[in-house]
Amino acid sequence: MRQIFLVLKREYLIRVKKKSFLLATILTPLLFPAIIFGIAYFATRDSGDSDKEVFILDESGYFQDAFNDSGYDYTYLSGDLETAKTQFQEEGAYGLIHIPVLDLQDASKTSYDNFSLFTKTNPGLQIMEDFEYNLRTALEAIKLEKSGLDPAVINSLKVRIDLDSFNLSDSGEAKESNSQISSAIGYVFGFLIYMFIFVYGSQIMQSVLDEKSSRIVEVIVSSVKPFQLMMGKILGVGAVGFTQLLIWIVLMFTLSAVGISVLGGGAGMEVMADQMPQQVEMTETQEMIGNVQGILANIPVVTILVSFLFYFLGAYFLYGALYAAVGASVDSLQDAQQFMFPIIIPLIAAIVSLSFVLQDPNSSLAVTLSMIPFTSPIIMMARIPFGVPTWQLLLSMVFLVGGFIGTTWVAGRIYRVGILMHGVKVNWKIIAKWFTMKI
Amino acid sequence: MQAVCYIYLYQPNTTTLNILEVNNVSKSYSAHKALDDVSISIPKQSIFGLLGPNGAGKTTLIRIVNQIIMLDEGEILINGEKLKPEHVKVIGYLPEERGLYKKMKVGEQLMFLAQLKGLSSGEARQRIKKWLDKMSLSEWAGKKVEDLSKGMAQKIQFIATVMHEPELLILDEPFSGFDPVNANLIKDEIFELRDKGATVIFSTHRMESVEQLCDDIAMIDKSKKILDGTKKEIKKSYKSHQYMVDYRGQLAPLSREFSVLESKVLEDDLSQSIIQVKEGQNPNDLLSELITKTEVHGFLEVIPSINDIFIKIVEEEK
Repeated sequence: MRQIFLVLKREYLIRVKKKSFLLATILTPLLFPAIIFGIAYFATRDSGDSDKEVFILDESGYFQDAFNDSGYDYTYLSGDLETAKTQFQEEGAYGLIHIPVLDLQDASKTSYDNFSLFTKTNPGLQIMEDFEYNLRTALEAIKLEKSGLDPAVINSLKVRIDLDSFNLSDSGEAKESNSQISSAIGYVFGFLIYMFIFVYGSQIMQSVLDEKSSRIVEVIVSSVKPFQLMMGKILGVGAVGFTQLLIWIVLMFTLSAVGISVLGGGAGMEVMADQMPQQVEMTETQEMIGNVQGILANIPVVTILVSFLFYFLGAYFLYGALYAAVGASVDSLQDAQQFMFPIIIPLIAAIVSLSFVLQDPNSSLAVTLSMIPFTSPIIMMARIPFGVPTWQLLLSMVFLVGGFIGTTWVAGRIYRVGILMHGVKVNWKIIAKWFTMKI
Repeated sequence: MQAVCYIYLYQPNTTTLNILEVNNVSKSYSAHKALDDVSISIPKQSIFGLLGPNGAGKTTLIRIVNQIIMLDEGEILINGEKLKPEHVKVIGYLPEERGLYKKMKVGEQLMFLAQLKGLSSGEARQRIKKWLDKMSLSEWAGKKVEDLSKGMAQKIQFIATVMHEPELLILDEPFSGFDPVNANLIKDEIFELRDKGATVIFSTHRMESVEQLCDDIAMIDKSKKILDGTKKEIKKSYKSHQYMVDYRGQLAPLSREFSVLESKVLEDDLSQSIIQVKEGQNPNDLLSELITKTEVHGFLEVIPSINDIFIKIVEEEK
């Protein structure tokens, strides 16, 4: 135990004392909000530096008032398509919309597909949507008018439904639920585990590799058992990650507390309201924010936090041991690539299936992936905010413990041989040989 | 009853004379046999040479003693006790493939290595200071290893090996990569440690490099021990009974007991011949005959080097 602790202490201190640790730890929580606010800022601003000049050739004559949204500078052309194209080329406008002569006599026709947009570069999805929206609303209005129906009647026929969802527990207690918030929480926690494994797993690998290539490892294993060395390393690097996470949490809470008190609650809300689609009214926004707090109270916070801690550690140990084994098997980072692949595959599979899992957290895919130890930390964290049967949670945890004992055992056997091997062209066959070798 | 007591008391006495005993140790790596029934005894407070070409099995044996790998058969005794994890503290090991943490400060690094060997931090601090002073590296304690010269790093490695005052020092190819000044410095330190009670094992394939240092040797070739004993006895038993004679003038035909193996001309009209003397013959007999026939300028017994002996044994085995 003393030996493991000494290794742990060394691994911890050399990392925590580095300037880069301090920088990453302090800057990351500042960086994330900065990026989010940055994106939000640019998204709310008019896209592009100046209005885009768009030519419209309307041969039907129905769309003279259809285009007036901001962000674009519309010019109506006359003549035929060829002259319009030449003018578009010569004047260097952003785009040219061509509306052909339309036959609106047939009232049952609902699909019109011979409109064209000419641009020099591929237009973004938003631009296409804007133009289609303009064309559609204009055409709908014309068709409505021609049909002789009263627009007021039409508007009165449109209704809006808000489905409030509740979780009904066995005791009959109904809790208000919100799948969007649950998804967001699930995604954030799942992604955190994923990131942590990547960042700190490769640190373990690097550390093993450094000891091997600097040739100190033989000195160390003459006083420490290889397994103790490996565990000390995994624990030490893990402790660094934990420290970092803790500092982030504290910093983020402090920052948001400071931010709210400086900006004042109202200011923040106005920013949010600005970003809301104009259809949603201000009162509804405020109502929604009020609801969010109610829903948050109904999310199993304690279960989430305890499970997060468990899956976070479990995933880290499971993958950490594998990263250590890879580091011990190779002489350089380049060689490590081929062995990294099978480790990364289940992680990527978990992240890719995350969106499917969030859509249906109780599907058989979700349940299966939340049982397999290689994917369970990420997938189960995504499921927990939606509520998971206790037996599934416990079974998954037992499997994860078994999984990490298993990978640590396998990794330990490869590690003890690999660290003393230099200049061996390693492949899977050799690794298998190391695994079965008695030393 | 009396006799039983006597034997009981006597036994540990003989075993503790040897700090390390390797008894019939074998070790295989899958198909390859790395050690085949090797037995070696290393007396306390001696300097022992473990000799043999590369790949003979020396490093395997050393790693077994250091408990880095396990033996398949046989046993290892340290001070008469079967090898156990606590023995790590008794041994100081300088591997052939040696290095340091490049990004770590010298002092912190030595502290870490000393604590791994079981020293308390206070004790370690004292000894680190003592050794750094001794090697005149005190002002480097706060520097990172990557800033040190190669020679300094080697000194640090040596300090790390001996800092916990091991009873048994195992140095694998200790002088490879050392510059002559440092090599001599380390040699002096090794003698000093031996005089204070430590036992030193040199493992090397460069036999000439440790010939003068060792009291006892063992030779390993192709996983087997082929020779061991005190250096004195081995050299004696492999005496060639040849003498090198420098002389001026002609070497007139010698009597039948002596045969000239080779001759060459040196400068200043001197010649040199190697003369084989029959076993049992006294060198004085040769000398007295030479005096009557030529003008003798030098007379020296040809003593085989350990390297010569090794080559001779390997050829004989073939």
